Amino acid sequence: MAAETASPTRAPVAWLSGLVRRTAFAVRASLSRRDGRATLGIVGGVYFVLYSVGLGHLGRRSGSAVRRRAGGGSTPLVDLFVASDPLATATRRVAPFQYEPIALASAGPVEYLFAPVNAAIGVGLALLVGVTLAVSVVAWRGPSACRIGAGAGAVAGVPGLVSGFVCCGPTILLVIGVQASAGLLAALQWFLPLAVASLLVTLLWVGSRVDPEAVRQTGDPTK
Amino acid sequence: MERTRRSTIGSLAALGAAGLAGCLDEGIVGSVGERDGEGDAAEGDGSAEGDAPGEGRGPPTADGSRHLAYDLDALLEESLSGGVGQDGIPSIDDPAFAPIGETSLVADAPVFGVVRGGEAKAYPQHVLVHHEIVNDTVGGDRVAVTYCPLTGTAQGFERGETTFGVSGRLVNSNLIMYDRATESWWPQMLATAIDGPMRGETLREFRVVWTTVGEWRAAHPDSRILTDDTGYVRRYENDPYGLYAPLGGYYASEGTLFPALSDPEEGHPKSVVIGARTAGGAVAFDKETLLAERVLSGTLRPSGEAAVAVADPALSTAYVYLNPEGAAVEPDGDGYRVEGNDAGGAVGSEGGVDADDLSLERVLAFDAMWFAWAGFHPDTGFAGEHTGAGYGR
Repeated sequence: MAAETASPTRAPVAWLSGLVRRTAFAVRASLSRRDGRATLGIVGGVYFVLYSVGLGHLGRRSGSAVRRRAGGGSTPLVDLFVASDPLATATRRVAPFQYEPIALASAGPVEYLFAPVNAAIGVGLALLVGVTLAVSVVAWRGPSACRIGAGAGAVAGVPGLVSGFVCCGPTILLVIGVQASAGLLAALQWFLPLAVASLLVTLLWVGSRVDPEAVRQTGDPTK
Repeated sequence: MERTRRSTIGSLAALGAAGLAGCLDEGIVGSVGERDGEGDAAEGDGSAEGDAPGEGRGPPTADGSRHLAYDLDALLEESLSGGVGQDGIPSIDDPAFAPIGETSLVADAPVFGVVRGGEAKAYPQHVLVHHEIVNDTVGGDRVAVTYCPLTGTAQGFERGETTFGVSGRLVNSNLIMYDRATESWWPQMLATAIDGPMRGETLREFRVVWTTVGEWRAAHPDSRILTDDTGYVRRYENDPYGLYAPLGGYYASEGTLFPALSDPEEGHPKSVVIGARTAGGAVAFDKETLLAERVLSGTLRPSGEAAVAVADPALSTAYVYLNPEGAAVEPDGDGYRVEGNDAGGAVGSEGGVDADDLSLERVLAFDAMWFAWAGFHPDTGFAGEHTGAGYGR
């Protein structure tokens, strides 16, 4: 791997811009490969689903079985509720990093509450986790000198995932059997920004560890 | 957001072409006359006139107070954020109702029933678990019907010109409401403000019956029922905490999400009691025991006042009366007979008087999870056998 030319202490701006440039190279190089794109798609998709489930926005329909189906149980295959004033509703804050849903879409046994701001946060987190893992995977499959832990991105994404579960209740504590305290609840509010920060740091670290040239030269074994 | 529209799309293939045209899930219907008050005005010291409601003023208050085992500062100190901000759980301020005969809910779905001024209304638990407060008008009175899922308590309060909202804070796992006129904090179970300009004041309460759709419909066929056309988009068929029919999740487990003010030495934390309190004390009757035995005697603590509770099997609920003379109360057909006092109250179908109409002084009572009642009232009297989690049936 090529050494960084700028020193983080003597020329921090140059060092940081070099790091970002290098990471951008690594991301582009990784996503130019099929295994990189596949990692981004799969990991990002799974992460978004888990985040939505954690928020309580995605789940099984009729979970509480309170409603008897008229006409012997015929349920519409697809159903859609939409708020009458979606724009005003979408920006209404419910809790830290949680916003009001504007639509409920049901398809078969699954229903999804669409809260645009939370969907955007989920997509952003999913992209960060997916890209970090894509670069990690490509690097891991590359030259041995560049091998890094492929789990780095996943670990960095954990706080974001947990933050998704921090919803009204917060019911995640019910699942894991931990009783809430004022301190724990205050800490949970910082999980999402912590997740973003740790994901960015991890991505830059992973990027700095990858030599784009080496990745290009190695080529995509799946091609 | 004021209203929700529903579009139903018949198939996946039609999804792209589907618009938002549709109809309300269940329409708003006109009010339905019913028998009066059900004795709510007679229910305890909460009905006494205190401050009159007025524009820009807080909710009307009762002259009497409720027994508090902790002082207001201690309660305030023990309050904590429930994880959401003020109004993060939005109250329903423009409720829509449908005739109960048209509801698609299963018969054993829990509802909270109110009869007031000749009008009967039912508020489904699966809707209130997402909103906790409905600011409504029943029988011409401005009221708030409130539900805290973590303590299993459904209670009614007069609200005057103002409305109540969810503060986002809890004490002893119990919802702390705030009134939008003075922003005072009102823990639901205590009905007493612990902070704000109305600190120390007590709300006027009325009886809310925890029952089921089927039982309420049979008792009040002209009742209307709150629909999920709340103006908000929620997964109304998904209870984030658990299930009541069949019982599961938080409602069945021994654990609580938040620390209680005190823990009872025995009894399942989520077993259900019918609790009643006066200015001097509190008493809890195990609901399952009471429904089985129909009559239980108890004592409010620390005041030492004698009380008797009688079950109403038709609604699977119970009523609590002060019984200072120790009068014997016995089942008589579907109703009850008070020894040496066969006057007073409506005559039941088989000769006794109805459970809510005994000729004794009634005390406001409501269902609560045992841990929550004992947490607020560690000195409470208790009657019956401790039973398992559930809702007393």
